[in-house]
Amino acid sequence: MSVSQVSKTELPNSLDEVVRNLAAELKTTTIEGTIPRVEEEEDEEEEEEEEDDHIYINEETECGHKQILVSHAPQERIVPPLNFCPVERFLYRSGQPSPVNFPFLLNLGLKTIIWLANEEPQDTLLEFCDSHGIELQFAAINPDGGEDDNPWDGLTEHSIINALQTIVTQDNYPLLVCCGMGRHRTGTVIGCLRRIMGWNLASVSEEYRRFTGSRGGRILVELLIEAFDTKLVKINEEKAPEWLLTALD
Amino acid sequence: MNYIPPLNFSPVVSTDVSLYRSGYPMALNYSFIRDQLHLKTIIYIGDKNELSEDYNEFLKGEGIQYHHIFMDSCREEGVEERMDQVLRLVLDVDNYPILMHSNKGKHRVGIVVGIIRKLLQGWSTAGIYQEYGIFSGGLKGDADLEFITMFETNLNVRMAKVPQFALPCMLKVSNEAELWKPSLPSNESSSNSQNTLP
Repeated sequence: MSVSQVSKTELPNSLDEVVRNLAAELKTTTIEGTIPRVEEEEDEEEEEEEEDDHIYINEETECGHKQILVSHAPQERIVPPLNFCPVERFLYRSGQPSPVNFPFLLNLGLKTIIWLANEEPQDTLLEFCDSHGIELQFAAINPDGGEDDNPWDGLTEHSIINALQTIVTQDNYPLLVCCGMGRHRTGTVIGCLRRIMGWNLASVSEEYRRFTGSRGGRILVELLIEAFDTKLVKINEEKAPEWLLTALD
Repeated sequence: MNYIPPLNFSPVVSTDVSLYRSGYPMALNYSFIRDQLHLKTIIYIGDKNELSEDYNEFLKGEGIQYHHIFMDSCREEGVEERMDQVLRLVLDVDNYPILMHSNKGKHRVGIVVGIIRKLLQGWSTAGIYQEYGIFSGGLKGDADLEFITMFETNLNVRMAKVPQFALPCMLKVSNEAELWKPSLPSNESSSNSQNTLP
């Protein structure tokens, strides 16, 4: 093999690498504002790239499987709401979503949002739900308390049952359960759901405390979850989500 | 009936596929895993090489594929390649439902979840940090977060096997890459355009 052949085969590769590295560099400096990466890493990447390129060509031509590359994060990122977490299939929990979270919420394709508070959520959230056909369901802490009601009060049994009736009905999915911070009220409802699902009480408490931040869990919330009579929630087996039926078996 | 999920158990993705995270499963968690999760794959990211007898038996009895990705900390050598191994498993729909666990379900699994959130779902850095914090009990783990933030890779996978939860973000990244190409046609002009671009 002559020298010219070697350089011919290497040339397109190295050009491509220059372009890629430039793109990566531009991205990191303009978007992330971080320090340029260490040279060592780039060397490793070059090696891997060459290997991957061969695999790509082989599979494409021989098997006809279309490939896709995982490399870096997209330039436009989505921002999850405070304390966001999946709970079960198409069921999520979080704090109050603000406009910065709306692109994230659109990705979830929500049908229903349960809002656990006496006061109305921010107008921006109401408008967002209106314009995207999301049903916003209020599950007031204490329906008789009105505006004077103390937001630190726990949920009443009535409001827990209301929220859970929505959760045990598949028609309402994909579904987000949220309150101001996504800590105690959301934690109460999810905790009671876990009890319906037959979870051990210590595990229910562990999950609740995970989301309560630096001040930790409230004993009153845990007592409320423990005392909750799970039989008060009526589950229609024909309309319940599959994971719930699996748990009840 | 009393189900005991493993320590720090939670779904990571629960849409078209089920991806879970947790700490090391113990014997008292087996009935939960068996009856509720119906796993096909378990990925252990950690430093214990020995598989306990009862865990081994449980995995065999349930026919669960077990993958051990050795990892002590994110600072050790070769950790990037091992992240690629995890990503390969996660990017194949045939492996689901998947449980990823470490010892306590805090740091090592936290790193993997952070990288999935970033590369496969396009989550913001703040969102990733918050989730890491929820599961690490407020412990900061600065080195882990730095690793998540800086981690990039170059991994080709079969598109038909990519789960739905990851596809939109991955397509977005490849579209962005397409947009870059026309503005950088050759070596000479690319060095110019670097100066002119904002």
